[in-house]
Amino acid sequence: MTAPRRSPARWAVALTAMMLSAITLADDANVLRYPAAHEAAAQPLEIHGALDNELMAPLLADFHARYPEIELIYRNLTTLALYRRFLAEDEASADVVMSSAMPWQYQLANRGHARALTTSAAQQWPQASRWRQELFGFTFEPVVIVYRRDALADLPPPDSHEALQSLLTDERQRLKGRVVTYDPWRSGAGYTYATEDAHMSPRYWELVAALGGVEAALADTTGEMLDGLADGRYAVGYNLLGSYARDFVADHPQLEMVIPSDYALVTQRLVLIPKRARHPETAERFVDYLLSRQGQQTIRDKTPLGTVHPDLEGEGTARDLRKTLGDALHPIAIDPSLLATLDTLKRHSLLDRWQREYTRLSDSGP
Amino acid sequence: MSPPVNSPSLYRRLLIWLLVPMLALGALMLVQAYLASRDTADRAFDRLLESASLSIAEQVKRQQGQLWMDLPPAALKMLASDAEERIFYALYDAHDNFISGNAELPRIDDGQGNMRFANIEWHDMALRLGVRRSQLEGWRDRQPFEVRVAHTREGREALTQALFQGSMLRLIAMALLAIGVVLLGVRMALMPLTQLRRAIRTRDPRTLAPLDLTLPRELAELRETLNELLARMRRVRANQERFIGDASHQLRTPLAGLSARAELALRQDDPRAWHDALGVMRGSADKTARLASQLLSLTRLNNPESMPEARDIDLCDIARQAVRDALTSCHRAGIDLGVETPPHAVIQSAVEWQLAEALANLIDNACRYGAMRITVRVGEAPTRLEVEDDGPGIPEAQRLLVLRPFHRGIEGGQGSGLGLAIVDGIARAHAARLTLAPAQPNAEPPGLRVRLHFTEESSP
Repeated sequence: MTAPRRSPARWAVALTAMMLSAITLADDANVLRYPAAHEAAAQPLEIHGALDNELMAPLLADFHARYPEIELIYRNLTTLALYRRFLAEDEASADVVMSSAMPWQYQLANRGHARALTTSAAQQWPQASRWRQELFGFTFEPVVIVYRRDALADLPPPDSHEALQSLLTDERQRLKGRVVTYDPWRSGAGYTYATEDAHMSPRYWELVAALGGVEAALADTTGEMLDGLADGRYAVGYNLLGSYARDFVADHPQLEMVIPSDYALVTQRLVLIPKRARHPETAERFVDYLLSRQGQQTIRDKTPLGTVHPDLEGEGTARDLRKTLGDALHPIAIDPSLLATLDTLKRHSLLDRWQREYTRLSDSGP
Repeated sequence: MSPPVNSPSLYRRLLIWLLVPMLALGALMLVQAYLASRDTADRAFDRLLESASLSIAEQVKRQQGQLWMDLPPAALKMLASDAEERIFYALYDAHDNFISGNAELPRIDDGQGNMRFANIEWHDMALRLGVRRSQLEGWRDRQPFEVRVAHTREGREALTQALFQGSMLRLIAMALLAIGVVLLGVRMALMPLTQLRRAIRTRDPRTLAPLDLTLPRELAELRETLNELLARMRRVRANQERFIGDASHQLRTPLAGLSARAELALRQDDPRAWHDALGVMRGSADKTARLASQLLSLTRLNNPESMPEARDIDLCDIARQAVRDALTSCHRAGIDLGVETPPHAVIQSAVEWQLAEALANLIDNACRYGAMRITVRVGEAPTRLEVEDDGPGIPEAQRLLVLRPFHRGIEGGQGSGLGLAIVDGIARAHAARLTLAPAQPNAEPPGLRVRLHFTEESSP
């Protein structure tokens, strides 16, 4: 527990920002309520999630339509607020906790705070997307590169990490200040991707040096990067969350989204039922729904979040991505290495290295 | 004798004594197998803790004046097996200060070496904790530190279960085999007993012939004992048959005499002759009656079922009473009958009527075989009863024979031949020693001293 507490502020900012939401802090704006059909027989269920209301709403509505007797409250919190609220002993209000902050969710489950779910959907859930029967990844979101067609008209498209690195090296002068990526200091997602990238290949550091060479801008959220790309400030964005970029790119024809072909990181949102949940039955029903074919279908059809369910096909499904990318697909594993991401010293080591590599080619810092 | 209570059959007894210890042993082996499986699983998984902590320890260095590590994710992955254990790690400095980690893990104080293991209960979780003591590898700075790693026991338990199930199946198979062998073995071992039982059951109940059967050593002993018993029974039966023959012969002779005498008297008309004949007949009838009563006494003495009640009696009283009873008849025959007793009572546990009978028989015998002087004596230390006379005595060669029924010391004597046999029977019933000896070995006639020695255990 000690490690994440040491740098909570940065995490909070970063992970909240990753949600791409313009969340106001007014509480009501962040709460969705679905009253039960019959007040008398209402079964309450309170979900705490770090997922925007507009993404959750279709899913909750579908669930509520199937189980109208459940009185549903969805509270949208930042990942940090979620984590803190969870650990505060006196607040046992959440029945389901969903978050994209994979290491923190993992940390909670690892500490034994999660309840095992043994419904058949949970039992059959793909091994790679669950940990024990306690933690389930229910979305499948690749990390992508987005670029402006007009800016790179005569250049080879950056469709892999290697292509991106040579592009940045070859066109250093032309692209100076026109590349954007996550700020690994301020964004938890950015830090997680940096960890994974570094883990994938030592040549990642050459890419960081190349990013430093073009004096890449460092952003906090995917939304920020997409906006910058749309209004022409940036030509290339590296490591954007694919689920957000997909819809945005569809609306902006001058943008092109590429899933790197050498390897593509995939992040998953993890859901768990706290041991202290006050309404475990309704919580289990909700998570079972999330993992069911119907729930996953709703995610595929009504949200940009990708689905995990192995039976589903179509755009945004894990099956579809696997078919096109094969072995290059690299989902962030739900395993103990996530704990290493949370280690304070590890974080310092990685960021020091990042800083060194970033300033290697140029004297100007971030 | 109370009827024998049926104890469990030999078959059952053997099965119980073989199977119960075997099952107890099996249970012990199961426990042992479980402990061994757990130990093996622990050893195997402790290697994970060892290598994970080593791989972490190798990344610890000194940076900016404090301990520093670049945590290798692979080390954490190493701690979790397919069972997806919860894992915990922490780095502590030499003063037990937490440097980094995802949990504050306790130290292990006992144990030796750089790597120590312990089972701990931590936040309601059963953890296996491994603590590695190490130090920085540097030219000057060799600061010690501790890497503590822990994981939950699911993987260990799964391996323990797998190993234990294997041993359990083997053990159960062996136990089934052993039980089968024991059942068969016991049945085979008890077969001769069944044979013996059948052989005894199918015998003619009247036959006392020895059993002829090939049997194992233990049962052969039983067969020999049985055959000895049968042989004894054969002897007893022969004795009885002889005794009955002798007795009927003895009774027939005086009865035939009586009949002849009566017939002779009837042929005469003289009432005086009748009178004489009646006198003779009365004497004969008395003798016969006496013979019959002696036969009865002998039968009573030889009956093993009769258990006369013994009580403490004064031997002096018995001797005096016997002398008083015999005094009249002896006096008439001109025999000097006397008694010698100590001035105080001599107490002995005995059956009163038997001792009285023995003395009466001895006095009667002495009278009949020509003694003129009879002394009944009570002695002490050892307690004894004696009857001494000055008659012709019994030659040494005859002394054992006279104890047999219907054997008369002197052919043609007046006795029935039962007196000494009765005395012998009484002596044996009292576990007393009966000795026959000359009263005055150097005199002529030597006389006879019949002595009943009561020993310590003398009691009927």
